Amino acid sequence: MTEPWIATKELCRYYQRGPQEIRAVDSVNLNIARGEFVGIVGSSGSGKSTLLNLLAGLDTPTSGSIAVGATVLSALSRRGLAGYRARQVGMIFQTFNLLPHHTALRNVEVALYFNDTPRNERHKRASEILTNLGMGDRLEHRPNALSGGEQQRVAIARALVKRPEVIFADEPTGNLDYENARQIAALLTDLNKEGLTVVMVSHDLELARSICSRIIKMHYGRVVEDSGAQR
Amino acid sequence: MTSYDLITAAADNLWRMKLRSILTMAGVLIAIAAFVSMLSFGAGNQQYVNDQFEKFGLLTTMQVFPEEDKNGSDSVKAKVLNDSALALLAQIPGVRLAYPLEAFEIEAKLGDSAATLNAQAISSEVARTAAMSQYLAGTRFENDSAHQAVVTRDFVKRMGIAEADSAVGRELVVTARLVRIDSAWAAIISDKDGAIRKRLRAIDRDSIFEPGYMMGLLRRETSEALRRFYSGLMNNRELVTETLTISGVIPGRHESPMRIEQVILPLATARRLNDGDISMSPASLMSSFSSGSLPDMFAPKEGKSYPKVTLDFDPHTPFKSVRDSVKALGFKTYSFAEQFEEIQKMFIYFDMALGMIGLIALVTASLGIANTMIMSILERRREIGVLKALGADDSDIRRIFLYEAAAIGTLGATFGIIVGWGIARVASFVAQSFMRREGVEAIELFATPWWLIGIALGFGIVVSLLAGYYPARRAARLDPVESLRNE
Repeated sequence: MTEPWIATKELCRYYQRGPQEIRAVDSVNLNIARGEFVGIVGSSGSGKSTLLNLLAGLDTPTSGSIAVGATVLSALSRRGLAGYRARQVGMIFQTFNLLPHHTALRNVEVALYFNDTPRNERHKRASEILTNLGMGDRLEHRPNALSGGEQQRVAIARALVKRPEVIFADEPTGNLDYENARQIAALLTDLNKEGLTVVMVSHDLELARSICSRIIKMHYGRVVEDSGAQR
Repeated sequence: MTSYDLITAAADNLWRMKLRSILTMAGVLIAIAAFVSMLSFGAGNQQYVNDQFEKFGLLTTMQVFPEEDKNGSDSVKAKVLNDSALALLAQIPGVRLAYPLEAFEIEAKLGDSAATLNAQAISSEVARTAAMSQYLAGTRFENDSAHQAVVTRDFVKRMGIAEADSAVGRELVVTARLVRIDSAWAAIISDKDGAIRKRLRAIDRDSIFEPGYMMGLLRRETSEALRRFYSGLMNNRELVTETLTISGVIPGRHESPMRIEQVILPLATARRLNDGDISMSPASLMSSFSSGSLPDMFAPKEGKSYPKVTLDFDPHTPFKSVRDSVKALGFKTYSFAEQFEEIQKMFIYFDMALGMIGLIALVTASLGIANTMIMSILERRREIGVLKALGADDSDIRRIFLYEAAAIGTLGATFGIIVGWGIARVASFVAQSFMRREGVEAIELFATPWWLIGIALGFGIVVSLLAGYYPARRAARLDPVESLRNE
């Protein structure tokens, strides 16, 4: 078995909603190796997005631990987690989350604000990555002038521009039509083939099966099936 | 994020919400404009006073007066400012010059106009001090015995000459009446028309040893002797006339803080005119009679006494040390530097009062900034979430909002300073026009010095940062997951 790179141990994330405790992630033990394309699937409320947020360092666990390489995320400060997100992680969202008042180019450049990339290099890298993703003629367009597929390409460019070690994608095709969804899925597959680790959350089991090398199925906060665990 | 990134981000975000940003900045602008225009008034007045003090060399000038010394009995004896006291005063460390006020009554005639007034004698050394060097026209007299005089603008006007320039070079005829003490003594013992014999005959020899009669006689005779003394003094005055040329015109009493007489004469020239035994006007003489201080004026060992001595001291010598030395000699002082300190304190209070009004406006404007920032955070929760997902930490988010607050403060304060300066200029123009119309010298009442601009800009930025701090902190603490979930 390949050496684990991302490892969770008894990972829990509970929310208190009034008197009720919501166990969004409950005692999850996972090992993800470098270069894997992991699909986390499950129905709404199964805890897959919460798990993704925990792995991406956007959320902190109630208990348990997450380690990425030698770094224990659960031991990091808010500042430390921000540094982890800035340097090692690329995030892709279902709703793209582009800044509407910035151009495509500036949206991608923003990702380099927080990892000490020199200003002149930001522009170069952002335009290069957008051009590579087929958005070379859309650099100065604002998000509202782009189609859903184009916006998601800009979002992927934003995630890739900082050369992350892992991409966390939360329903990246959820807001796209079939054709655009297929193209984005192909793009993620290509990136994984180039060696990038991808962790994708999807409610579409068929899509996940078609592109992911490993499927983790969640139900009520627990991992109920992990195709990788049998390997 | 670099400062450049933060500045461009702040500019972008403010530009995005143009109307709201402009309205918020307008609050700061109005407050800073009020602050600058009001403090410009304070600063202008302060500068005018400072200039006057410097121009007349008042910070290095001290006036010395006789100290009234109350001893154990009821009698009041003055510590006399005479030549020996003058010599002691001149020896105080730091004192460059000690000169007395030597004033005497003259009749001055300029063209067809004549007036009886006081003349003041000063040496050419004194004439060179800053206090005596503010010439409106012409210049100082050439030397101590020159047949020249310096006059004040008050005098020139009194003589019917409108412009100071026109008086320079004109002939001034000065007449003094010398009073001789000998003639006063002679009048007491004079038996003109058998007056003494008549009085001796009028004495009742039989009653001379009665206490009541004797006291009445003494009182009557003493009173008669004084009357004769005064009459002898006044009726036998000697007229001395000098024809002088006006060499210069200086500001008068209303324009100068120095109590300068209307005609200033060179020392030796003045002494030619004032060579009498006493240099007093009849009114002053009568006053000396009633106070009993007349005999002091004739005490030969003490020499002449002066009502006031002026000290000109080195600017590097603290006035307090000079003042303490003078007080140690037993004299009273009036120090312009001390007054200056008091005036400065008053200006500080005045400026603080004016500044408080501006600050209240600025605090009100800061509420507008806080409101704008909080509204902005509510609208930009998702953006904050995205930035955090991309790797922004709390301090990045806090700085983004603080830079926006600072940008509002900087722009508002900058335009506020320009508007405040404009208001001060307009107010100054109106005030000066009014002064000219009223025939008063137009003085500059408003000044916007660099320190005021710096303080206004600093206040604008600091108050804006304080107003933006809470919203910025709130933005920084937002949970990224919650923010991204926000629609």
